[in-house]
Amino acid sequence: MTSFRIDGGTLIDRNDVRRFSFNGEALSGFGGDTVASALLANGRQLVGRSFKYHRPRGILTAGAAEPNALLTIGRDGRRDPNTRATMAELFDGLEARSQNCWPNVKFDIGAANGLLGPLLGAGFYYKTFMWPAAFWEKFYEPLIRKAAGLGRASYDPDPGYYEKCWAHCDLLVIGAGPAGLAAALTAGRAGARVIIADEGAQLGGGLLAEGSPIGGKPADAVLADIVGELHALPNVEIKKRTTVFAAYDDQVFAAVERVQKHLPEGEINPHRAMERLWRIVARQVVLATGAEERPIVFGGNDRPGVMMAGAMRTYLNAYGVAPGKRVALFANNNQAYQTAMDLEARGIDVAAIIDPRTCPNIRYEGKARMIAGAMVRDTAGRKAIKSITVRHDDGRDEVIAVDALGVSGGYSPIVHLACHRGGKPVWSDEHVGFMPPENTDGMTPCGAVAGKIGIVDCFAAGGAAAVKALAELGVMGEAATLPGVTQGDATVDHVQPVWSVSSTKGKAFVDFQNDVAVSDITLAMREGYDHVELAKRYTTNGMATDQGKTSNVNAIGILAENKGASPGEIGTTTFRPFYTPVSFGALVGASKGMEFQPVRKSPLHGWAERNGAKFVETGLWYRSSWFPKNGETFWRDSVDREVNTVRTKVGICDVSTLGKVEIFGADAAEFLNRVYCNAFLKLPIGKARYGIMLREDGFVYDDGTTSCLGENHYFMTTTTALAAGVLTHLEFCAQVLWPELDVRLASATDQWAQMAIAGPKSRDVLSKIIDEDLSNEAFPFLAAREVSMFGGRLKGRLFRISFSGELAYEIAVPAGYGDSVADAIMTAGEEFGIAPYGTEALGVMRIEKGHVTHAEINGTVTPADLGMGKMVSAKKDDFIGRVMNLREGLVDPNRPSLVGIKPKSASDKFATGSHILNPGDAVSLANDQGYVTSMCHSPTLGHAIGLALVKNGPSRHGEEVVIWNGLAGTTVTGILCDPAFVDPENEKLHA
Amino acid sequence: MSSLVKCPHCGLRPKEEFTVRGEVATPRPDAGAEEAVWFDHVYLRDNPRGEHREYWHHSGGCRRWLVLTRNTLTHETSEVVDASTLKTGGAA
Amino acid sequence: MRDYPLNNRCAFPHPDASGAGASINLVPVKDGFVFHVLGDAKTDEEALKQAIAKIAPELGGDVRKASPGQWFWVGSVDVSDGRLAEIQAALSGQFALVDQTHGRLRIVLSGTSSRTVLAKGTMVDLSADQYAIGQSAMTQIGHIGAMITRIEDDSFELIVLRSFAGSLWDELQHMAAEFH
Repeated sequence: MTSFRIDGGTLIDRNDVRRFSFNGEALSGFGGDTVASALLANGRQLVGRSFKYHRPRGILTAGAAEPNALLTIGRDGRRDPNTRATMAELFDGLEARSQNCWPNVKFDIGAANGLLGPLLGAGFYYKTFMWPAAFWEKFYEPLIRKAAGLGRASYDPDPGYYEKCWAHCDLLVIGAGPAGLAAALTAGRAGARVIIADEGAQLGGGLLAEGSPIGGKPADAVLADIVGELHALPNVEIKKRTTVFAAYDDQVFAAVERVQKHLPEGEINPHRAMERLWRIVARQVVLATGAEERPIVFGGNDRPGVMMAGAMRTYLNAYGVAPGKRVALFANNNQAYQTAMDLEARGIDVAAIIDPRTCPNIRYEGKARMIAGAMVRDTAGRKAIKSITVRHDDGRDEVIAVDALGVSGGYSPIVHLACHRGGKPVWSDEHVGFMPPENTDGMTPCGAVAGKIGIVDCFAAGGAAAVKALAELGVMGEAATLPGVTQGDATVDHVQPVWSVSSTKGKAFVDFQNDVAVSDITLAMREGYDHVELAKRYTTNGMATDQGKTSNVNAIGILAENKGASPGEIGTTTFRPFYTPVSFGALVGASKGMEFQPVRKSPLHGWAERNGAKFVETGLWYRSSWFPKNGETFWRDSVDREVNTVRTKVGICDVSTLGKVEIFGADAAEFLNRVYCNAFLKLPIGKARYGIMLREDGFVYDDGTTSCLGENHYFMTTTTALAAGVLTHLEFCAQVLWPELDVRLASATDQWAQMAIAGPKSRDVLSKIIDEDLSNEAFPFLAAREVSMFGGRLKGRLFRISFSGELAYEIAVPAGYGDSVADAIMTAGEEFGIAPYGTEALGVMRIEKGHVTHAEINGTVTPADLGMGKMVSAKKDDFIGRVMNLREGLVDPNRPSLVGIKPKSASDKFATGSHILNPGDAVSLANDQGYVTSMCHSPTLGHAIGLALVKNGPSRHGEEVVIWNGLAGTTVTGILCDPAFVDPENEKLHA
Repeated sequence: MSSLVKCPHCGLRPKEEFTVRGEVATPRPDAGAEEAVWFDHVYLRDNPRGEHREYWHHSGGCRRWLVLTRNTLTHETSEVVDASTLKTGGAA
Repeated sequence: MRDYPLNNRCAFPHPDASGAGASINLVPVKDGFVFHVLGDAKTDEEALKQAIAKIAPELGGDVRKASPGQWFWVGSVDVSDGRLAEIQAALSGQFALVDQTHGRLRIVLSGTSSRTVLAKGTMVDLSADQYAIGQSAMTQIGHIGAMITRIEDDSFELIVLRSFAGSLWDELQHMAAEFH
């Protein structure tokens, strides 16, 4: 195939040859090429197949708006589907493949869909695949997904590292074309903190494609000077390959920087991000995003070889690639003529310029034949354009042989970022386009996005915009100027809107990526979907990954034309982030794998590991759940042994994860009295008390113990699950409800390693390491105070509290010493047969003892429901939940209340969540008496036991009931009983 | 939703550092108040279109409760104060 | 009573590991104290500093504001249980003092890339002209709460809850890896 590479090309380096493959074929390009420019240089106009009709498609643009040339680039975990060839930089060894074609892009069986075109119009899916319903999932959807679609994502994990960063600046300049460069230069010289971001690999924007000199100097030399100065300014940060894709509230802008996506595998630094997601906090913004050239809608306008006129100029001047050997232009504006001049200057034959304007006001001195008042109505050629059919103003058709057609239908300012915060763009008849909203607080649009034409005028506008933005910050700036330039372009264009060519022959596409033709839009209108938002959804115009960058304004124009309205009256659809697609990798950032969320580790984690713990995730915490010993392989073997050890000897359990709060202040007691439903005012120093916190709606929130350690000093423990919630609740009470109280809260969860030592031998063990008298008289149940340990070498806090129901203590020591203290307790307890136990054994023992946890405290229970109604103070004037706890429905004696439950036959088992029914009642929730909240195998009793919330439960001990597992469809006969299965008289506790 | 919140104690911070509790309810009634007043405080919320006062907790910063005055239509936050000022009236 | 060994164990996974690169360095601080000081609504930082200067001038250290009426008093000397109790008692009229030496751990991140690394985690603008030496902020580094104090030109001290220390350490290592 012939090469289309010609001389010149400001962006490419001809000494840097880069090999790549396209659909398995070996090709080459140069450093600086995009995949698109390299393909065109190799004469590859056909690059893909369209979404619905599988029509051959080529490269339409040279930038971010590309709807057609979507390729899958890379392999395995680094495979990126739907990559715009116009944005992907060429690197050595790059592998690119076409999408949506089988067996290949040149011969695609799916192209038969094209023959079905008349059947596949707007609303086709809605109308056709309605019945039978079962067919949808099994037949239609798989078929459609196979036939229509984009590239496929890789199943392999992406080996690349991604990250997110914050950045701050006085002025964010979005876009580094002439306007953006001038703004950055102006603000940079004034000493402001500037970030200038551009999605391209090089700064320059429109300057990169400029063939004419500026102020007597070549455009690329002018650009090099500007970029050089920006690099030298330490207060200017340049972000290339960075797309600002969203404008959020409070001047936060999101951008994605493609840090290493342009590098070959061997050059990727695995420790550096592949892509970086930026959140930029900008005090002021200059929006210099430019304008998008619009296609014209005419028959066969999607044929490979049809390209935007401006894109042709970019390929020519920036990449040294000829778009064809014999080119025609179809343009309704003056700016496009520059392409003709540049083509001719490079010796490319311009066959004709077809201008719909009957009397174009243009001084054109080229050789090309100008055909005024004419339209292109059709194109021909199988896989690439061979000729165009021109309809003259006298109605005559003329066929002109070409191998490329440049199209220009006017310019749409790229207003997206100005509209993300809710602003609506404003139609301008003068510019024939939607302009940025008038009120863009903190953001100044300038240059082509504000309707300016020409490099000199855009540059001047950028400088002026920066001066204005700096003034908002109280900084004086002087607008940068282009050296040697004495007057502006003063270009005025006369765009004559052509939304679609009425004499069109064949399919005329509005949205190339979603295959929406003009006939689909008129059909939608006939069927009543003529509102712009409805037409979009009915036809899918603008709903592809390109979000209609090249199609939306034309669709609006077509709606307007057919309704006899102005495009301004039709209005646009809503602009939402993101401006262009962003990879999931960038959005996820580093938060994957082990960094998906932080891990919280107890100070006794290492000790537990050394003792062989199996860990369980509890929120962010890793807690030891059991400690297999002596070759135990089944978890229940370990748990049963641990329970038996505690009940007969002694065990040690890590309870460091419980929430701990130090409470100080003159009103600390009053505060506790108000947050707990039971009395706390008279808790003496050296004592702990079990407390229940209610929510303001009267239901139980959390439980725990609070100890008085000194005058106006308390130490609260909460459950692990609600540690953060309780602290936040206490802060709300202290700061919002009762700021007049002197109460000060300090989270102390992490300061302490806390261990429960439980079992009949626990006192014997602790007496070996604690320097004080631990007899029942000296340190009775609920005693709590600081103790001296190891002969005065360490201080700890000792609490005589018990969750297991055994004689038990909790000892807290400074976290760093936890490991040593736990080891010391194990050594001291060796002679008594001590064993570590985990949360599973803890759970078994609390069920045996009838103690509740959040399995019972499930947001629907009152203290009375848990058998603790008497704890709710009747004397206190006020506490959280007092009033609502007395509501009619909350004091009903028939409420489900806590009972124990066991199977009638000791060998029977039942499941948590099972429902309780009266014997003889039909198996139905209509007869529901309550449900099982917790169950376990009790090694102490030798059978299954459980806790349940049952209507009127406490008065039904001894009653026979049916335990119904609705999921398994089984029933077991059970007996309701006292929830305290073990030591109901609390003799062990007080031993 | 605001992207940044100007915490009166910490300055501008991202919304990720905050936990939103919801609308500022009526003041907590006296224990002796009528049940209807309590229901209003516990359950009834206005959910307005426009100016809205919300409790935000700076859980990832100073751990103070704040009151944001936020426009639910425009997302504009007009005022952020320490929530203790609701009752004390002065600065926290 | 037999002699049980007592060691203060470091919570960081590789206590001796530190960045080898020139532009970034990560080092845990093993010695010293972290005290959480809580005042009432009327107390201010000046009053606290005066009280400290009077009661415990030998400890020195920094007072870093965590919240209205709350500070972290951080220093590099070790304080005995007895001395701590004396200071607590002497301050107790105005300030409650909670020992957090074991609950909140310190890491120093330094080097010319330290700001770039921290910008991967926190929104707080740490640039030299916005964030003076000695300035502190309670913020989040990624999902983990931390107090960031600028201690020198390109050097920041982080205070993190002990249970999160391992995760923060690992995440900082990843964030800094490109500069090694």
